[in-house]
Parts: sequence; C-alpha cells; structure tokens
Amino acid sequence: MIAAITGVGWVSTETMGSGRRHQVLQSKDGELPKIVSRMVFGEVSPRFGRLDEYSKLGLAAIAFALKDAKQDQLNEKRTAGIIVSSIYGCLATDMEYFEQVIANGGNLASPNLFALTLPNIFLGEAAIRFGLTGPGFAVNGAEPGGTEGLKLALESMFLDENPMMIVGTSDPGCPPLFPYHVEMAAGALFFVLEKHPPDASLSYGGLDMTLRGDVLFNGVEIQSLASLFQGCLPHLIR
Amino acid sequence: MESGRTEIAKIWIVDANVVTALGKDLTDTWEGVVNGVSAIREISRFPVEGYYARMAACIEGLATSQDRSMIAALVEQLFANMQPVPPDTALITATTKMGIDNLEKLKRGQPARVPDILLSSLPELISQKLGLRTTGINISASCASSTIAIARGAGLIASGRADAVLICCADVVTEFTFSGFSALKVVSASPCRPFDRARSGLTLGDGAAALVLMSEERALREARDCVAVVRGWGASNDAFHITSPDPDGSGLVSAIEQALSRSALNESDISAVSAHGTGTLYNDLMELTAFRRVFGGRRIPIYSAKGNIGHTTGAAGGIEVALAAKALAERTVPPTAGFKDPEQGAEGCVSASVVSLTGDVCLTTNSGFGGINAAIVLERGPA
Repeated sequence: MIAAITGVGWVSTETMGSGRRHQVLQSKDGELPKIVSRMVFGEVSPRFGRLDEYSKLGLAAIAFALKDAKQDQLNEKRTAGIIVSSIYGCLATDMEYFEQVIANGGNLASPNLFALTLPNIFLGEAAIRFGLTGPGFAVNGAEPGGTEGLKLALESMFLDENPMMIVGTSDPGCPPLFPYHVEMAAGALFFVLEKHPPDASLSYGGLDMTLRGDVLFNGVEIQSLASLFQGCLPHLIR
Repeated sequence: MESGRTEIAKIWIVDANVVTALGKDLTDTWEGVVNGVSAIREISRFPVEGYYARMAACIEGLATSQDRSMIAALVEQLFANMQPVPPDTALITATTKMGIDNLEKLKRGQPARVPDILLSSLPELISQKLGLRTTGINISASCASSTIAIARGAGLIASGRADAVLICCADVVTEFTFSGFSALKVVSASPCRPFDRARSGLTLGDGAAALVLMSEERALREARDCVAVVRGWGASNDAFHITSPDPDGSGLVSAIEQALSRSALNESDISAVSAHGTGTLYNDLMELTAFRRVFGGRRIPIYSAKGNIGHTTGAAGGIEVALAAKALAERTVPPTAGFKDPEQGAEGCVSASVVSLTGDVCLTTNSGFGGINAAIVLERGPA
C-alpha cells in the first residue's frame, strides 16, 4: 500500500461536508451552494470572502477533508502537497477580469482579481491556512474522472517526496455565456492521503497503483474520484 | 509498487528545443543569451498607450490564423526542428493561460476557436500533432509550471510508469496577462535587470520549450544522444503569501534541498545556478537569500535569462532547463543581460560577462504566485 485515505471532503449540489460530518443542502435548481467562511471555518474570514467561487469551492472541500482527517489544526508547518484537477477551473474569473479590462482599460484592472486567474492560486491559500509546504498545482487533462491528479499524488508519495497529499477536483462548471460545454458534474471533492497515518482508525482504506497506472482502492481498481468516494463512503451513495 | 528510492532509473534529456523572441530554436536562443542580446522591445501586439510600462519580448508574426490561439503557431515552430517523438511517449504540458488570447477575441466579438481557451487543449493539440497514443495532461503552477512538469515527468520515469516523457510548455504575452502584471505593479517600464540594485520589475516574454525525457536504459537501446541528465528535482510551497515570496527563502531552500537529496549530490557539486531572476524587488532578494543559505559563502555563478527573453511565465522553467543543458554542454555560464550594479549578495556571483563553467552539474530554480517553488539538478551528459 502506498497511502491510506484518512479524510474526505466535498461540496456538491446536494450535500457538503466530510465523510464523518456532513449536511444535506436545500439545493435550488441543482445549483452549488454560495459558500461563506462560517460554513467552512466557523468564523468570518475576509480573506475567504475575497476569493472567487472556484477557489471557495475548492478551499472548502480541502478544509472539510483535512478536518475529517483531524489535520486541520495548524500547530506547525508540515510537508503536504495539494493537487487539484479541473476542466473549467477559474475560467469564469478570467472572463470577469477581462470584461473589466475592456470596460475600464487595462491600467485600471483589479490586481486582486488578476491573481485569481491562475488555477493553482487557491492551493496557496490552503497552504497558508493549513501550513502545507508541499507543492500545489492544478492538472487539466482530457481523461475523465479526475484520476490523473490522484496518480501523480500516489507517485509522489511512492518516491518519498511527500508523506501527505491532498488530492481532488474542483469545478464550478461551465461559466454562463461560455460557448463550449463539457459534460461534467459541478462541485469539489478532495481526499487526504497519508503514508503513515498517526491514527489508523481514521483510515477509509488503502490506495495502491500498478506500474500501468491503475489505481487500486483496497485492492479493487477505481476509474474515477467519484468511484473512490463510493468506495470510501458506500452508505452515502443513493 | 513498492515504495522507496532504490533502483530508480537514470533520466536523460534526449532532445530539447525552445522558441523565444531571440530565435526559432535552442541554438539561436543560446547564441543570443550568451552574447547578451535582448529581444525586449516596445509592444505592438496590442495597444499599450494606457499602461505605465510598454515593453515585452514578443515573437513577431505569431498571430498567423484569425481564430487559432497564438500558442498553436508557437507549437508549430517548436516541433519544426525536433526529432520525431515516439508514439508511446507520455505527455505532460505546462501553461498558465494557454489560449487566453482567444478569450480576448471572444470577448471582443472576433473569430476565436473556443476550445483553445481551456488549459487541457495544450496536451490535446500536441498529442494530435505528434500522433501520440496518450492524450496527456497539463500542469499549471504559475511561473513554476514547467519546472513542476519536468519534475513530474522525471517522477513518471523514476517510478517505472513510463520510459519516455515529452514535456512541452508554452505561454504568450497577451493584454490579459500584461494588464494583470501591470495592475500588480510588477512590470518594469524598461527592460528588466535581474539582480541589479536598480531593477524595477519584470518584463514579459513569449516562449515555448519541448524536452524529451527518457530512461537511460531506453535511450541507450535507441542510441539517443544525451543532452543532459536530470539528477534531481524538488518542489515546495512557502505557505506565506499569495503573490509575494517568503523573504527568508525557506520554500526555495526546501525545493533545492529536495533536489539535491534526490540527486545524491551535495551543494558543493553545483557549479552554476540558472535562477528564476525575474527582476522584481522581492523575488530577486528572496532568491539571493535562499542561495546564500544553500551555498554559504561560496561565490557560485548565478545567471538569469529574463533580460534576454523576458519572463515566459509557465514556459520559463522548461526554456531555462534547455538553456542550462546547453550551458553544461558548452561549459559556459551565460551573462545576465541588464545586470550592472549588483544587489547585495549578488557580488561575485551574477555577472554581465560570460564565465567558464568548471563543473558538471547545474541547478535551475523557479518560483511563482501561490507560493510555489521548484528546483531541478542537471548534469552534463556522458560524452
């Protein structure tokens, strides 16, 4: 086994929270919830409020996953990396930013909004909040299911680069008025992977990977992050 | 897969090319860099009258098609001078904004191929062009995107999941990116001057790079040349600030230490450093601090190519690794264009002149927004 899954966190159109504590949402027309910092951190956070929807979505799921793994308390910085897979990523923010450039001229563009037009920026926000000093990056690929990021995370742990990785997907969906739709479910889902979990009772199961790149959860091949979620929390799947 | 570091394959770079504002291939770009030529000019690609800074290192004639992104033309140039890539090669690309020029066109009501806007379209474009069996993935990690891509490509080979990986990175100067960096007040009104006391910010540039990594075993089997050997890699996050580096350089030090540990080399084995060297106040200070922490009082040659080709954002790491491989092969540390008056800590390390490279190992580093840092240890290939 390369790693144990010790935390699961997500935000979907129907539920949000973590494997051990989540809530059912009163979804309006299948939309994702408008996330505010109190829902995630139990307190008001101006920094969180300044983020775009893509970043809030991903950061919330990461926070829920770390809480599930009892790794959300920042006592000291630790080596843990984050990988997010996404299709549209921060595209809605890109569009909003460039509309401002056209309307107001580039010299009046918002530096804060521009900083959010990089899909890995919210991983830096997560790193600051939770003291995570491993690398954070975004992965975009044609392969469905979001497993490419998971494979990179497992490889990094296999090579002894990072003892802990947080890996998942965050996608607010196709921005309004963007004329190119990819079939996908909007939402965010993250897993905490630990090589040597301090509390074995927190493990949902073990992950391994073959040389061909097949990912195995408790010895069974999984094809997507959604099927990994199902493997971890079968009682939540209707 | 059994965890650990034993029996890890040696990783060769068997082919490399770059396209920059200095030239259509690695040779042209290297010649320009080593001769201290700067490709930084006033921008004509989009109106710059409203901006306080107006310079970038743009490749002329990139906008060849009305609806395709400039990245497509850049990729065409990149592979024009490379050996065929084996179809079973894995593919990792790196870009921060891919075809963001097409989002600009879309928003202005001009013809634009919309899929070019998505970051995943870069690996799709290259896979289709080269006839690869994989669709590949793209990695986006700000200005360390391609350095991370090289690290993950090396990881793929080291873990045994692949024996050949193509790394391809590309980014272009657009009004989108130029306005953003201008709004952040990090663009220099004059050509950037890395590690100079009078530096006033970065200069953006167009660029792309392609590097074919192979396990030594496969490279020998296929009688491939060795451009350089990837000995080690490391990556970290500052966990400090979203757009500013940690001034104590801890994150970069960590990435370098990981790369050295992976390579089983010591800091004393490093003969030169290809720094990120953007020319911004805080980046360059942070890097000098980090290098001082790693190398102590040793006056190691440090250079930056950004005064020549500008800051090519997501492509910077790939281009700089290709140039560092060339530096090792030519036993030459290139000068740092724009450098005159050393920032404290740069004395005796950064130079405006060519310096002989006396050893066999070079370190390249990049850092970026979101707190990311990455480092690669390169060794001269066997003769």
